[in-house]
Amino acid sequence: MSDEYTAQHADEEHATDDEAAIQGRPYEISAARRGGLFGELVRDKLGFASALFLTLLALAALFAPLLAPDDPNRGNLSRSMASPVWNGGSWSNPMGADWQGYDVLSRLLYGARTSLFIGLLVVALAGTFGIIVGVISGYKGGRVDRWLMGWVDVQVSFPGLLLAMLLVALVGGTVWTVAIILAVNGWMVYARMTRGVVLSVRERPFVEAAEMVGSSPLRVITKHVLPNLVTPLATLAVLEFARIILAEAALSFLGLGIQYPGVTWGLDIARAGDHELFGNQWLIIYPGLLLSLTVLAVNLLSSWLRVMLDPQEREKRYAASVTDKAGGM
Amino acid sequence: MGRYIGRRLIQGLVVIFGVTVFVFVVTRLIGDPVKFMLPLSATPEQREARRDAMGLNDPLVQQFGRFLRDLVQGDLGESSYVRGTPALEVVFDYLPRTLQLVAVGMLLAIVLSIPLGVIASRKPGGTTDRVLTTLSLIGLSMPQFFLGYVLMIAFTVRLRWFETGPGGFMNLVLPSICLALPAVGRLAVVVRSAMIDELNSQYVKVAKAKGLTRRRILGVHALRNAGIPYVTLLGWEVIRAIAGYTVVVESVFNWPGLGFMASTAVKNQDFYLIQAIVFVVAVMVVLINIAVDIAYKLLDPRVKLS
Amino acid sequence: MRTRHRLLSALVVLGVVASACGGDDDDTTSTDTPPATEAPTDSGETPTTSPTTSPAIEGASITIALGSEPTSLDPHIVDDGGERAINDNIYETLLARTPDGELIPSLATDLPTLIDDTTWEFTLREGVTFHDGTPFNADAVVATVERMIGLIAAEGTDNAGFYDTLTGATAIDEHTVQITTSGPDGVLPARMYWLKIVTPADAAKDDLSSAPNGTGPYAFVERETGVAIELAAYAGYWGDAPSIADVTYRFVTEGGTRLAGLKSGQYDLITNLPPNDVAQAPQAAAIQGQENPIIILDADDGITADVNVRKALNLALDKQAIADVVYAGYAVPVDGQLLSPSILGHNDDINAYPYDPEQAKQLLEEAGVAGETITLVGESSGRWLNDRELVEAIASYWTEAGLNVDLQTPEFGAYLDVLFDRSNRADAIFVSSSNDLLDPSRQLNTYYSLSGVGSSNSNAELQQLVADGQSSLDADERATIYQEAVQIAYDEAYFAFLVSNQDLYGLSERMEWTPRVDSKLLVKEMSVNG
Repeated sequence: MSDEYTAQHADEEHATDDEAAIQGRPYEISAARRGGLFGELVRDKLGFASALFLTLLALAALFAPLLAPDDPNRGNLSRSMASPVWNGGSWSNPMGADWQGYDVLSRLLYGARTSLFIGLLVVALAGTFGIIVGVISGYKGGRVDRWLMGWVDVQVSFPGLLLAMLLVALVGGTVWTVAIILAVNGWMVYARMTRGVVLSVRERPFVEAAEMVGSSPLRVITKHVLPNLVTPLATLAVLEFARIILAEAALSFLGLGIQYPGVTWGLDIARAGDHELFGNQWLIIYPGLLLSLTVLAVNLLSSWLRVMLDPQEREKRYAASVTDKAGGM
Repeated sequence: MGRYIGRRLIQGLVVIFGVTVFVFVVTRLIGDPVKFMLPLSATPEQREARRDAMGLNDPLVQQFGRFLRDLVQGDLGESSYVRGTPALEVVFDYLPRTLQLVAVGMLLAIVLSIPLGVIASRKPGGTTDRVLTTLSLIGLSMPQFFLGYVLMIAFTVRLRWFETGPGGFMNLVLPSICLALPAVGRLAVVVRSAMIDELNSQYVKVAKAKGLTRRRILGVHALRNAGIPYVTLLGWEVIRAIAGYTVVVESVFNWPGLGFMASTAVKNQDFYLIQAIVFVVAVMVVLINIAVDIAYKLLDPRVKLS
Repeated sequence: MRTRHRLLSALVVLGVVASACGGDDDDTTSTDTPPATEAPTDSGETPTTSPTTSPAIEGASITIALGSEPTSLDPHIVDDGGERAINDNIYETLLARTPDGELIPSLATDLPTLIDDTTWEFTLREGVTFHDGTPFNADAVVATVERMIGLIAAEGTDNAGFYDTLTGATAIDEHTVQITTSGPDGVLPARMYWLKIVTPADAAKDDLSSAPNGTGPYAFVERETGVAIELAAYAGYWGDAPSIADVTYRFVTEGGTRLAGLKSGQYDLITNLPPNDVAQAPQAAAIQGQENPIIILDADDGITADVNVRKALNLALDKQAIADVVYAGYAVPVDGQLLSPSILGHNDDINAYPYDPEQAKQLLEEAGVAGETITLVGESSGRWLNDRELVEAIASYWTEAGLNVDLQTPEFGAYLDVLFDRSNRADAIFVSSSNDLLDPSRQLNTYYSLSGVGSSNSNAELQQLVADGQSSLDADERATIYQEAVQIAYDEAYFAFLVSNQDLYGLSERMEWTPRVDSKLLVKEMSVNG
């Protein structure tokens, strides 16, 4: 019971009532919606807005080199504190420049690039490692399982941020070192989840039969485990993505994350907070707002995803909850 | 129950030992605090001599042996940044201020999240609910340091209502709010869904039919059932605060607590202090985890602690 | 239900108790009390207080916000600005300096006389006592010197570089003492401006942090770790009574928070006021201090081995723009040497390299290095004011001049590795050198002399000059030698000279104080009006 994911999703059983309630519609109807996943998304305004925002952001990040007015690290003291276009500035700095002459818009775009990239990278690294450990643990069982899960239990209780800070201070802060350090601190939750899936899948009669007949573990894994992994993994990965973006921003803010020439929103919030707290406070607000909106969008999307991706589970849970309430007092 | 606690304590000891060893190995292998201690114009010989004097040139195993021996006697070494002071003493000098921050922040979170969740649950899907839920989501999506700056810009720079930095209770207001808001978001969601659940349950419908007022129903059963996930999450929030987010909040508001000291220790590669901080934090995390499990048991005897 | 309520109430109680426990760290002095009659707080309560309670002195109470907490209050062990800010008021030295930097007597009655090449004699002031009542005399000086020598030998101090020439001290009579050095040492008087005198009893202790005890105008009252340190005027001080009766120091790392506290009246004086926030402070004071950022260029190897390239790197920098933008105008271009104008040996004939980007480009092309990569190493932890911005600006200028700049800003530890790496000097390393003793020797030794830890040249003549300057005992002779040394370094462009940023302080409305060139915060020089 000691990891963040479990604690945050302690209310998982009520997820269905939760989400349906948020939409204001009884969940029975939602099960009958037509149009498939995309149709669902369009109907859910918040979810749609989030997905749209994230898509635009991803595109902006991807095409940053083309879209950005300037190199985000090309400072020019003569352009220090240039005004944005709407205040009479020139289009060479559409959102203005900071006190070192860096173009604000360019830094926001490249910041998106770094933040999103690190999020994806960490999810990929941590997820891969965690899934492998979970599969091995769930499959081998016995002593191997106990040791691996024991290791997970221990590492889950480590103070992650403190250790990440320490490692970055010792090793230095580049996109790859920060990503690896965050992955090292965050793979455990994937392992636990995967192991759970493996165990429950193996209990199904069909799978038991397959194993008895002699199907190789690899075949069982690919044919049965992995497909069942997709849904919970997607939900988890999206939430972790949000958490990683915040974690990297926090590290960069402390000065123990990405540093020059890397560009991230967290770093810019720190720089501006240091320099412009009494000056042009917009320089703090822009990257902070983008960061918050991105995380908000990811969170909204994950809520939506959690419900939509799992119609079977939803039905099962509803049934269980009805009988529970009838019986339990 | 006793056996369970015993088992958890042992597991906790493993955790504490594990994290201590990790920090020890990593700092000795990669770091070098002497660099930071002497002025720039010190010669390499002077640095080397200082390393010898601190025992940093001995083989790793020997250093670890010394460390363990001292640890058992309660000696976590001397801080190199706060010269001449035992590391544990430094930790206990700064810990109380972090505890103040966390206590006030978590209290605020509880006080705000329960009514928020209850109100939101009254009419699920209604306007109030949607507004409150969205606010909660916003609260937990904002990076805490950004939230901190926003609060500082609004209330310290512009409105001058609160001061920040080291000081008394008034200086604690903004940092506690900053620490509390994301937690409020998460906690309120839990309260809300538990309340919705309860209000929908057959039992409550029967009671309503009987004519019991809503308040009595809510008070007696719903809150208790919300208790378990709430306490779990609350425990996690406290851990998350102590083990990480106080560093950020204390840095933004210049609140001189343990988190702030951790940041300083790391930047100055003060091994012993880092070790001591991580050690104390790990102990607290273990104890809180156990406390949460006990609270579980108290709230619902049916729960089987596995 | 009951359980739930019990838990909740337990939490509430815990919270209240926790808050109450730390609740007494409110200011012990308030800055909005009228300045006229203010008794200092009684020092008898906590264990970490001075041995004497000074009787109530009339005068004001002020609060000073420093950028960092002292890592120790022992006057000999650490080399820490925070420690000095406080101990400069508690302890004194044999010699002192005027606010403009001239050596004057303090605990000694006059500048020392030379007995022979390695022996200096000081006559000591009479009627001086320490805060605990111990009389000040030659024994105290001897004990202090011997303590420092012992600390150096035992690797127990960070200040070895200041005092490694001391070999001993002897009391000739109660008020005369002789100090000996290992060789002719022209720097000795400056060293005695830095060495704080302690009692013989204290000199025997390992650590004086908990009970500072000096001869200075202010005595230690109490300390709350992490938060504040309080001093109060010492009634038995030998000099003029200061007008401030009570001073509290607070430690506030964030510049913005310090400034906010200044504006709200929480603080009377703050250090390191960010240059672009000067307009925000009720009052600001600036002075050309001893902070000298430079770039060390590798004269032996690589792209910077060619003197014309090094000159180009200097010509490419618009120092005035840097001063105006990075330091909001509170900086002056350095005139081609590492010594500030107030220091002995400063060569008044040298002028800064002008800003001539065309010439720079041309020189680089002629040298055949246009488009080549140059590595510039800074640091990212903000150790020196706005150093990240400064280094990034320099990278931009060198890029404009036609080079490809590989700018690296590692964390401070990794940066130090680069700075001290003698086998592989980086092309260009940023460092900010400050001169504590206000004597040229140590600075030049470190960065000019080929045997220094921070230098990147192999000029034997330069090294000899620097060594001669230290050992010469005649101030004029030393000046001439040093002037020659800096001229050579300028002609050879061993450094890219930058701007010297001023020390900036924020003052409250009622504060009256003029900063010193040596950056010392001497409360006895402060006063409040109104």
